[in-house]
Amino acid sequence: MLRQLRLIPILLQMNLRAQMEYRGAFLIDRIAMIITYASSLAVIWLLVARLDTLADWNWGELALLYSFHTLGYAIGASFSFTQMRDLEEQVRLGTFDALLTRPMSPWVYLVFARFNIGYVSHISLALVVMTWALLTIPIDWSIGWVAYFLASLLSAALVTGSIMTLLGAAALAWTRSNHLYSLYFGFWELSRYPLNLFPSVIQGILLTVVPLGFMAAVPVAVLVGKPVPLLGELAPIAALLAGPALLGLTALFWRYATSRYQGAGG
Amino acid sequence: MTLLISARAVSKRFRQPRRFPGFLGALKSLVTAEYTEVEAVRDVSFDIAEGEAVGYLGPNGAGKSTMIKMMTGILVPSAGELSVLGRTPHQHRMANARDIGVVFGQRSQLWWDLPVRDSFDLHRRIYDIPAARYADNLAQFSELLDLTSFLDRAVRQLSLGQRMRAEMVMALLHDPKVLFLDEPTIGLDVVAKDAVRKFLAKINRERGVTIILTTHDLQDIESICPRLIMVDQAKLIFDGALKDLRASMGTRRRLTLEFATDPGRLELETARLSSDEGLLKHYQIEREDVSLVDVLAEVGRDRALKDIVLEEPNIEEVIRTFYQGRNAAAVSA
Amino acid sequence: MSAYFAFAKSAVMTQLAYRNEVWANMFGKVVQVFARVAIWLAIYAGATSIDGISLQQMITYALLGGIVTGAIRYETIISMIGRALQTGDVAVWLLKPVSFPLYIITSELGRAAYRLVVLVIPTVAAVALVYGMLPPASLFYGAMFLAYLALAYAIIALISTLFGLVSFWLLTSFSLEWLMQALLNLLSGQFIPFWFFPKTFGDIAAHLPFAWIVYYPAAVWLGRMEQTETLIYFGIGCGWALLLGLGVAWLWRRASTRVIVQGG
Repeated sequence: MLRQLRLIPILLQMNLRAQMEYRGAFLIDRIAMIITYASSLAVIWLLVARLDTLADWNWGELALLYSFHTLGYAIGASFSFTQMRDLEEQVRLGTFDALLTRPMSPWVYLVFARFNIGYVSHISLALVVMTWALLTIPIDWSIGWVAYFLASLLSAALVTGSIMTLLGAAALAWTRSNHLYSLYFGFWELSRYPLNLFPSVIQGILLTVVPLGFMAAVPVAVLVGKPVPLLGELAPIAALLAGPALLGLTALFWRYATSRYQGAGG
Repeated sequence: MTLLISARAVSKRFRQPRRFPGFLGALKSLVTAEYTEVEAVRDVSFDIAEGEAVGYLGPNGAGKSTMIKMMTGILVPSAGELSVLGRTPHQHRMANARDIGVVFGQRSQLWWDLPVRDSFDLHRRIYDIPAARYADNLAQFSELLDLTSFLDRAVRQLSLGQRMRAEMVMALLHDPKVLFLDEPTIGLDVVAKDAVRKFLAKINRERGVTIILTTHDLQDIESICPRLIMVDQAKLIFDGALKDLRASMGTRRRLTLEFATDPGRLELETARLSSDEGLLKHYQIEREDVSLVDVLAEVGRDRALKDIVLEEPNIEEVIRTFYQGRNAAAVSA
Repeated sequence: MSAYFAFAKSAVMTQLAYRNEVWANMFGKVVQVFARVAIWLAIYAGATSIDGISLQQMITYALLGGIVTGAIRYETIISMIGRALQTGDVAVWLLKPVSFPLYIITSELGRAAYRLVVLVIPTVAAVALVYGMLPPASLFYGAMFLAYLALAYAIIALISTLFGLVSFWLLTSFSLEWLMQALLNLLSGQFIPFWFFPKTFGDIAAHLPFAWIVYYPAAVWLGRMEQTETLIYFGIGCGWALLLGLGVAWLWRRASTRVIVQGG
């Protein structure tokens, strides 16, 4: 197992070199991404410009929410999204089989050989906005606060990565699963807003079945001292545990999906 | 000889969702879920010893790829026992993977945008190949298949033939005991096919690498595999030496006699007249014990025989006849 | 002509073949529309009107926006054209007696029609039942809405085709799919109606073709413009569509010439 870890830097290196073969397009794509994410933020800004607050969140807090969401998402997705989304096609074409004939973990190869460095655009924008937001909002800076910030961000990244990987594993188990991504991204849009904006049914869903509430809405609410609907006092610990819990679930499901693939034939 | 691969009554079944035809059928499929069970491999048994080169032949959908996938650990058999190098492939996937090499004809494992050498290097790391052994193998194989001219070129710039040669080398760098090839010559030009066949035959003879090859191209079998396993509709229908197949079908050699002057309708006992074109007469020698000398003796010396052409049945004919014989038997049974 | 109809129909058939996809998509759509409305409900919390727009009107606006943007996937048009041009597959189309851009557009419109009927309208109807949706301000506005809707689809199809063709020179359609998204976010009115925009920004946005994608159709339904104004703006919208169509024709000519010369 540990031997596999030594292969990761090599895979990443090769992947980077392969992507840099298309430097021009890469750059244009990154710029387009930044512009688009900025436009979504601008939409929120336009709303707040007119309304002053959105569900009692002011502009600074909303910017923090947006950037936290984007950063956690980008980190988690670079380990999962494009790799898992393409899995369905790999299964269809039979190229996934090659991964099973090598003495290495198919997951490791899949994730790192096709690691998506395109998320650098999301991360750059998010960091800029986040820095601005953190300087604007009155924050009670303390070690504990910073530690919670980092830990819940990691948890958020794990939430994203786990769910994406679950969907990819579904492609292994049931062949066609890309339609589930449209479900995911439907809720993903909602998770960019404060939870108290939505009716309790949606809040419930975002905290349980499709736990995207833990991507940002819950942890940031905790960080800026806002009440979290439904979870209340449990919010801080729930945000920290959501990521690892999903990770465990995903590891199990991935194992199951692989064995189903081998049984069903893909 | 040690038994490397052993299959006992191996079967594989798949469940496929039913598709209904037409527009209404398409709407129907929105709400119902029915499955049909497809049997890809039924009750197949065979043994393959170390150092053998076996061709695995059959029409599309006969279960060739499925069998290879089971032997390489990709699929789990629905029934029966399969053992490769003493292990059950899917249960010991990693250990099995180290000892086998796999080449998929239409699916490349090389990195598209990087030089060939880089993919090889990654292969070396994944399989933990000792540096000296790797350098040695690389040098030898590159020379055999003439890779040195494009080792440093990106895979996307290579022709299909070059890519396949590189794939083949990569699959052998770690000294696998068994090499599985799934349609390796498909789409290649004649020159490339020839190079690949010679290479595989050489690897098998000189290094003792056991080869299992699925193919549509019967010439592959002829050049590389003395043994042939044929499957049709999930079942095994022939397992034996290629020459036995020929023999069991009867030799049915074709003999063409060219005369300076037409001797008239010349019926013989040693050979059957299949067509009479005046100066050219075509015969089929159907009995094994009859030789060309016997036929010529029967023709006699004073018939103004100008030229003789004798043809062995080629492999396509042999196999086609075999299928026809089976289908005829199936129909009459 | 019938060739294009066949393209549309075959696109629909392909969609129907994937059952789980259909259900998942429908569910996803329901969630999204529900959420849009929920956001506005929260924004309005208590207030009966903001800037003279009532909550009911805002909900109706959100639902109408869903009808236009929910059915057509512009990114498909951009990526399909982009990919065909980059790989040179488009060369095959140059040999056929059908126009490639039109093929792409009609295929996607076919799929959009399917999605509209099977996914979007049921979804919108369901949410409308829960939250209430205002009927068109009058028969005139209802009829004009349909005209504007057709125009909206035409404009979105043409803009995406234009972007798809541009991607040929940029060597990336990915970036253009996202840029289109950015422009739609800000300028189509799909998230925020123009009457909430700051003055200058709103004035500019009101004259760009994107405005005809969501804002104008919805505004027409709600009767926000005088009858004459409605007709005039329809004319301007058609003018934009014409301009875009000419742009597409011109770019396609240049792109296909290059493909022929370079061999794809």
